[in-house]
Amino acid sequence: MDCQSLDVAKDCVNVLQKKFPESKRVGRLEAMLLEAKGSWGEAEKAYSSLLEDNPFDQVVHKRRVALVKAQGNLSGAIDFLNKYLETFMADHDAWRELAEIYISLQMYKQAAFCYEELMLSQPTVPLYHLAYADVLYTLGGIENLLTAKKYYSITIDLTGGKNTRALFGICLCTSAIAQLSKGRNKEDKDSPDLQSLASAALEKEYKQRASDKLSALTLAFKTLKVSS
Amino acid sequence: MGSGGELRYEISQNAYIKLVLHSLKHKTSAVNGVFLGSSCDDVVQIIDSVPLFHNHLGLLPPLEISLIMIEEHYAALGLGIVGYFHANERSDDVELGNVAKNIGDHIYRYFPQAAILLLDNKKLEALPKGERSAPCYA
Repeated sequence: MDCQSLDVAKDCVNVLQKKFPESKRVGRLEAMLLEAKGSWGEAEKAYSSLLEDNPFDQVVHKRRVALVKAQGNLSGAIDFLNKYLETFMADHDAWRELAEIYISLQMYKQAAFCYEELMLSQPTVPLYHLAYADVLYTLGGIENLLTAKKYYSITIDLTGGKNTRALFGICLCTSAIAQLSKGRNKEDKDSPDLQSLASAALEKEYKQRASDKLSALTLAFKTLKVSS
Repeated sequence: MGSGGELRYEISQNAYIKLVLHSLKHKTSAVNGVFLGSSCDDVVQIIDSVPLFHNHLGLLPPLEISLIMIEEHYAALGLGIVGYFHANERSDDVELGNVAKNIGDHIYRYFPQAAILLLDNKKLEALPKGERSAPCYA
């Protein structure tokens, strides 16, 4: 179905149906085939009837969300996903998908909430801390920037100092914070050290992996420091 | 934008192909990229392009860093950012989303003749039959 060879898919589903007439999985595949053909109404009916038989079928719930998303109805997808997550709170992929939909709609506060849930349940995965810090930075405002800096630091801690995005994030945060707090008392506690540490780590990594891009990196640092 | 004079955009094959290939590689997500080039008189020449992201398009930090580094790198070659390319996640979505508009506005502030190119999937499908793709929005 992914390659749009719908005839082949239909034949396969028919064979499966003959062999396993009452199977839920075949029912799902049939509904997916309808989705692939673009018959949204029929696919929706198929999924709803599958859900009536078994209201706790996670995969069918998620297929329904995908169906709505494919039709372009992002707010509908958000509603379905929220209802799904009220029941199945531990489904990390669903939280991630919801966060990504929020980001694409620029609803950053809600996306931050999703990442917070993910971080609570899986605190050792650096990806969520990184994404959370990115969202906070995008939201802006000095408190968010300070928190974002902390989360970038956590990411670096969790990945042993190897995460390039987090290192860049720290440099961006410090220069943005400095820009915003120009008129007020600067919080100089550990920011200059942190930025120089981060930039030194980035330079070392670039030297090892892409030494021809090192000049671009140093110029970028100058731009960031100049604006701070 | 429309200042009365006619603006022509010339896009080099390299620039065009890089971005189309990038969007074909990540068929299931939205992609974006920037165009680099220069302008003289009424012609904006797009000489090169850099594909940017294929997942979290709406996040600011990676975008800022990449734009800074791209500008620095191409300034040495005498080129500047002259446009932005966007391809939506869904194949029949031909609307320019908010994220794309914001980024486009930002680029427009620095280069008033910038163009946004949105990938039209239907024309891309027809490409093997020899038609063009990507309508331009200036």
